Amino acid sequence: MLSEIEVRDFRCFAHQRLELHPQMTVLVGRNAQGKTSLLEAACVLLRLQSPRTSVRTDLIRFDSSTLMVEGRWNGVSLRCGMSDSRRRLAIDGTICGKSSDYLERSGLVVWMDHSDMNLLRGTSEHRRRYLDFAASQIEPGYLEALQGYQRALRSRNYILKRDATVQWRQVDAYGQLMAGFHQTLVLHREQLVRALKPKMGEVMSRLSFATEEVGIEYLPACSAEGLMDALTRHRAEEERSRTTYTGAHRDDFALSINGRNAEAFASEGQQRSISIALKIGQARVLDEARSMAPLLLVDDVFGELDPSRRRALLSGLPLGTQSIFTTTHLDWAGELGEGCQIVAVEKGEARAKILKRV
Amino acid sequence: MSLNYPAPIQRLIVQLKSLPGVGPRSAERMALWLLSAGRERGGLLADALRAIETEVVMCEDCGFYNEAGQACLLCSNDKRQRHIVCVVEQAADVLRLERSRAYQGQYHVLGGKLSPLDNVTPEDLRMDSLERRVAELPASEVILALGSDVEGEATANYIADLVRPLGVAVTKLAQGMPAGGGLDHVDELTLHHALQGRRAMS
Ligand SMILES: [Zn+2]
Repeated sequence: MLSEIEVRDFRCFAHQRLELHPQMTVLVGRNAQGKTSLLEAACVLLRLQSPRTSVRTDLIRFDSSTLMVEGRWNGVSLRCGMSDSRRRLAIDGTICGKSSDYLERSGLVVWMDHSDMNLLRGTSEHRRRYLDFAASQIEPGYLEALQGYQRALRSRNYILKRDATVQWRQVDAYGQLMAGFHQTLVLHREQLVRALKPKMGEVMSRLSFATEEVGIEYLPACSAEGLMDALTRHRAEEERSRTTYTGAHRDDFALSINGRNAEAFASEGQQRSISIALKIGQARVLDEARSMAPLLLVDDVFGELDPSRRRALLSGLPLGTQSIFTTTHLDWAGELGEGCQIVAVEKGEARAKILKRV
Repeated sequence: MSLNYPAPIQRLIVQLKSLPGVGPRSAERMALWLLSAGRERGGLLADALRAIETEVVMCEDCGFYNEAGQACLLCSNDKRQRHIVCVVEQAADVLRLERSRAYQGQYHVLGGKLSPLDNVTPEDLRMDSLERRVAELPASEVILALGSDVEGEATANYIADLVRPLGVAVTKLAQGMPAGGGLDHVDELTLHHALQGRRAMS
């Protein structure tokens, strides 16, 4: 559980401290007041990455050179400071040199927002990012393999394009390296999708009152062990296209509803339900794999659901899940039971004010 | 025109700034120090710089440094084994491995590692001389003691492909080396174990 969070020079906030309710905190405010930034700060603190940007300087407040996010997760105090080129991490006041050590001690996160519809309608990149975000929270070595893979891929593609005559020995030096990382990624993605399937099904069943069945199938571009072979077999294609033919960077997964392709056949409402099932399913998989309930961060979408979907969403969460929601209106607040805190957020620098603490 | 330092000082700052790890502000600070408190030291620094130009040569075989006119302390040492060559990124790695006392063979300093995105190609490294040496010694084993980051691993793969046709065994330092870096941060005991537990590259 994240009991409090404090930010300095983060997005529009000069300094902000916020105590969080063990069950649910609702951040309410008009648009562009900073409520999403507080949600984002929680994600940065726990996972060292933002779902909204990969550019570090986007996070640093205008006119500042460094940002700081601090907080307490299950009694452990975490601190993350960033400048455009550096990142300083600390656990319980002690500098932590390796981000993997930090992430291991830190909490788990599930993020939901409007872009979740891209999991159905968008390119495969959105679906890979979904798998990567979840898998890197389950498997300690996953993130390292992913970063290694991407780095090797960039170099390999660069060499393929660089010379008039392709220098295959150099290309292969990176291909062999990719093959090792590829294997790690594919095996863990496979495991993840296998674990997700029943969990998503359960959530979908709640959302649709047991009338709809959702399916998910992992579509690896190349078998776990077969990358080097596949690349060697497609030299002619690579010579033409001058780009890496296959690998984990081309993976995808397919979603179905009642046995039919969800992208083509699901209604808008069904697609929304499936995207929720993917995220709540992710929360359940994380909870089971790490024996620790994740922090659910929901930007905007909650207030826009109908009451039955809202109820289904909340009831589908793992026991003990803490959540933070942002919303522009509180029309639905009447549905909230006990165990909730409502915080008003106005103009980034304004102090958050607790409206109600039940 | 805005005021600046006289041209000789500007030239010094440009030179200092081009050194690894030195930014514009520390270059300026060093230049000003050399002009004031460190004035006599400037002469000594100039002498030392001139000396490495005239009195130091790189051994054409192993790539380590020697005083000009003297035989290479590594290559001409009869007590060192000649059938085994350890490939490292930089000269400092030779000293680290020597301190571990686990190795008695030949060395080969590459002078860096492959990094296409930084424009470092095999032609920029001492790859040709490695091929030649493996054949001439002749070596029966090549140990790759390179970093475990992406560039180090890719360089190891490249060399393995390069020298395998010469009929040598290619081995790598054992696991247990810290991920994502060179030999810089490895203590001697770990190096010792890594050398003894080296394994064949697949
Ligand atoms: Zn020598």
